[in-house]
Amino acid sequence: MNNIPLRPPGAAAEVEFLGRCIRCGRCVQICPHRAIRFAGLLDGLAIMGTPVINARKNPCYLCMKCVTVCPSGALDSRVKKRAQVRMGTARLNKKTCLNWQGTFCRSCYDHCPLFNEAITMDHELRPVVNEKKCVGCGVCEHVCPADPAAISVIPGGQG
Amino acid sequence: MKISPIRKAAQMLSIAAMVAVPLANSRGISVVSGSFYSLTIGPLTMTDPIIALQPLLATLNLDWGLLATAFIPAGLALVLGRVFCSWVCPQNTLSELFDVIGGKLGLSHFLTPGPGTLIRYSLLGLILAITLLFGFPLASLLSAPGIISTQTARLIYEGVVGLELSFIGLILLAEFFVARRIWCGNLCPVGAMLGLFRWKRTLRVIMSEEAGRACIGCRECARACQLGLNPMTGNLAPQCHNCGACIDACRQMTGDNKPLSFRL
Repeated sequence: MNNIPLRPPGAAAEVEFLGRCIRCGRCVQICPHRAIRFAGLLDGLAIMGTPVINARKNPCYLCMKCVTVCPSGALDSRVKKRAQVRMGTARLNKKTCLNWQGTFCRSCYDHCPLFNEAITMDHELRPVVNEKKCVGCGVCEHVCPADPAAISVIPGGQG
Repeated sequence: MKISPIRKAAQMLSIAAMVAVPLANSRGISVVSGSFYSLTIGPLTMTDPIIALQPLLATLNLDWGLLATAFIPAGLALVLGRVFCSWVCPQNTLSELFDVIGGKLGLSHFLTPGPGTLIRYSLLGLILAITLLFGFPLASLLSAPGIISTQTARLIYEGVVGLELSFIGLILLAEFFVARRIWCGNLCPVGAMLGLFRWKRTLRVIMSEEAGRACIGCRECARACQLGLNPMTGNLAPQCHNCGACIDACRQMTGDNKPLSFRL
């Protein structure tokens, strides 16, 4: 399951999601941040029309509106709070992270919607991902000044 | 009163709403949201019956919430017939328009599909079987009104449209050059599914010669029907989508004592 795309909050596990999602695009339409996009034909027929998020370009800000409009349960309406979301988990690449390489930067730490919970600073003021708290929204990946991003979300496909 | 102008107004309104809803949504007004797959107006959510059936077949998990949202469209079809197709669906509006243009150009079709229902229901069965076997919601990718409305929204949001729209082009080309109105009349799974919701009291076009109403045998009704049906034979279901073109044509020839009319 390496190639699964990042799904909106509340998404069921990928196989279940593909069966439940009716490709109606309502989550795409309601997303106020234009983070959720339609997967196109070029992304593969199996996922065409399903909602995907490109966190580097436009991450999920966890407003949770998409979950409320999903008519099919592909996005689980029981997921109401940010902390319940499990879109994926952020992974930090210490070799490219500016902070771990000695330049002071706290972009990901500052912008994380679960401030000081999902990303904390260690005793040398370097960011550390707390995998138990991280929801996979991708804001850190979006704001990371390194190119390519030193922190990125590994889609989990588990809500 | 003629039916056509009212119906055309409804079709225009439907297309206007298809543009207005994403525009309003993008400005934060979301009282009405959704597309022709699934639409929410205030507290009411409506989902196209064939679309709502898919997750059940694909995952074999019964979700009453989703099926319940198909209640209003299915109930509407049960009472008024396939009026969604003829009065609302943007694909039908486009196809009608192209058919009129084709008629003006004097285009003749390679084949004219008959009023049979075999292809229609076989295709519907095949699509649902594929959903069941492969867990893949095929009907969503074949729902012309769904594609048109979501791609309109996409155009408004992102300024681009997806390759999905080429499917609509394909339908129009096939109807223009190969077989007249074949999509709506013989292939569309959305319409086929809606057509299943009917009983003996569903609104339909009937031919009645009682009370001084006499058919003069002019065949104008059959000429008026884009779907190639003949109202004089009486049995139009399930292809007939109650557009009323035959009734208007009949009135033109026989006045208010027309033998053709809608009847519950």
